[in-house]
Amino acid sequence: MTESAKTKTIKVDYLARVEGEGALELTVREGALTDVRLKIFEPPRFFEALLRGRDFKEAPDITARICGICPVAYQMSAVHAMENALGVTVGGALRDLRRLLYCGEWISSHALHIYLLHAPDFLGYPSAVAMAKDHPTVVENGLKLKKTGGRLMSLVGGREVHPVNVRVGGFHRLPGKSEMRAIIPDLERARDIARGTIRWTATLNFPDFEQNYTFVSLAHPEEYPMNEGRVVSNRGLNIAVTDFDKHFEEIHLSHSHALHCLLQNDGQPYHVGPMARYALNSQLLPAEIRAEARNAGLGAVCNNPFRSIIVRSVETLYACEEALRIIQSYEPPEKASVEIKARAGTGRAATEAPRGILYHRYEIDESGSILDADIIPPTSQNQKMIEEDLWKYTPRFLSQPDDKIREEAERAIRNYDPCISCATHFLKLTVDRA
Amino acid sequence: MSLKPLIIGIGNRYRGDDALGRAVALELRAVVIEHDGEPASLLESWEGRSRVILIDAVRSGSPSGAIHHIDLRAGALPPEFGACSTHAFGVAEAVELGRALGKLPPEIDFFGVEAESFDAGATLTIAVGKGLKELCETILELLRKEREHA
Repeated sequence: MTESAKTKTIKVDYLARVEGEGALELTVREGALTDVRLKIFEPPRFFEALLRGRDFKEAPDITARICGICPVAYQMSAVHAMENALGVTVGGALRDLRRLLYCGEWISSHALHIYLLHAPDFLGYPSAVAMAKDHPTVVENGLKLKKTGGRLMSLVGGREVHPVNVRVGGFHRLPGKSEMRAIIPDLERARDIARGTIRWTATLNFPDFEQNYTFVSLAHPEEYPMNEGRVVSNRGLNIAVTDFDKHFEEIHLSHSHALHCLLQNDGQPYHVGPMARYALNSQLLPAEIRAEARNAGLGAVCNNPFRSIIVRSVETLYACEEALRIIQSYEPPEKASVEIKARAGTGRAATEAPRGILYHRYEIDESGSILDADIIPPTSQNQKMIEEDLWKYTPRFLSQPDDKIREEAERAIRNYDPCISCATHFLKLTVDRA
Repeated sequence: MSLKPLIIGIGNRYRGDDALGRAVALELRAVVIEHDGEPASLLESWEGRSRVILIDAVRSGSPSGAIHHIDLRAGALPPEFGACSTHAFGVAEAVELGRALGKLPPEIDFFGVEAESFDAGATLTIAVGKGLKELCETILELLRKEREHA
């Protein structure tokens, strides 16, 4: 860090408690913030290029490797995009199983972020390990929830990290009814912990930071969105997923290995993730969960990103309830997958990863070989929005020591549960005051 | 509590020397599990165990193939050992969470072999392959001595 009376740079060389490697650079001139750069320096990973020439059936397993936290999201977007290209629809119990698998990932990923990555910000600890000494129950609840999410992912996906049971058209193996029923007591305990999580997060202290966000999420007429729906916003956007490319654009900035994603009509950033899903779909949550959200102080829309920890807790409870619903009504279908035949075409799909919309587009030839792939992860869509939040949130701390600025800037970033490994094509904080 | 020692080999089989923990796990087959290092399930895996040995590849600046031994009851994993985890939360955090929550086994040791390469799709390097053999003998010898003194 360099410092003079007039200018300084505050750097966070390596952002803590986010997934992957990124940095932040803030420039301060004569006491005013003049530049904010969220740098994603984790090297580019070239997944889109290495998919070219591979068989369409390999896409869910290859793309799952993009992320150890949200592999299901990659698998789900991949299979739906391929099925879109091949003109195949997967319904019934197979569709329910996909939703169940996604519930497992939401529970696991949200529990990790709420309890182990985000909670230390509110309780004043540098890490979950430091927090665990004084708040063992908090950490144990997080671990129990995460474990249940992982069990669900193993049950449907074959294993927790990078599941192996997903295929275009369905699954390789169907879970039996008794296997499904065996997880019910565990899920019922997780549901109770999740309900307690909402009540506990509601007691935390939140900075006053209401924003006027453009929220974008999937919306489905009958269910809180996971695998399917139209892409909608609170500003009137309502498009089919297949028109995603026409309404969103990715731009490359020299300071980041992640592409920034903007709305094409106004060139403005937008917000994806739990707050967007909740703002656009909360009416589809069961009445009991809506009541819990209301009691936790959430209106129909939450515009304070620091309160996203409550929204994530609401979604965690929903995922537990939804998983129980699916398991209780489960009847194994006759076949583990529907028949798939290769044909030339372009397929597009978006699903709701724990941290927001994940869009995949593939072009395949008549033999099923992938000619082109485009993957737009949620963190690259949120990256510009995070910078906008930093522009508005950090000025109130500029007269304070750099360590305080650094701490608050990192908090503002963690609100988004960014997954930097996913976004590379992300954090380290620099405040330039020179 | 189970008195049978549990050996946990951690790593990724498809990332060069990161496969070390899993290779040891394969070598000592009868008493070991392979693990990806995810903390919640790692904590769960040693529940009710009196003796646990963790094995992982490390990168601390020592020569490739060098063997590190840390008594985790006596102290934490050095920070540089955690740096090769590709996750926000890894083995070192799992051990420290276990300690904070009173969930560390009565005896828990960490053995690491200094890695050379974590290239995707690669197998173990020659240096780490040699370290692997030596490490297996070291662990078997340690367990044999413990049995004799039990």
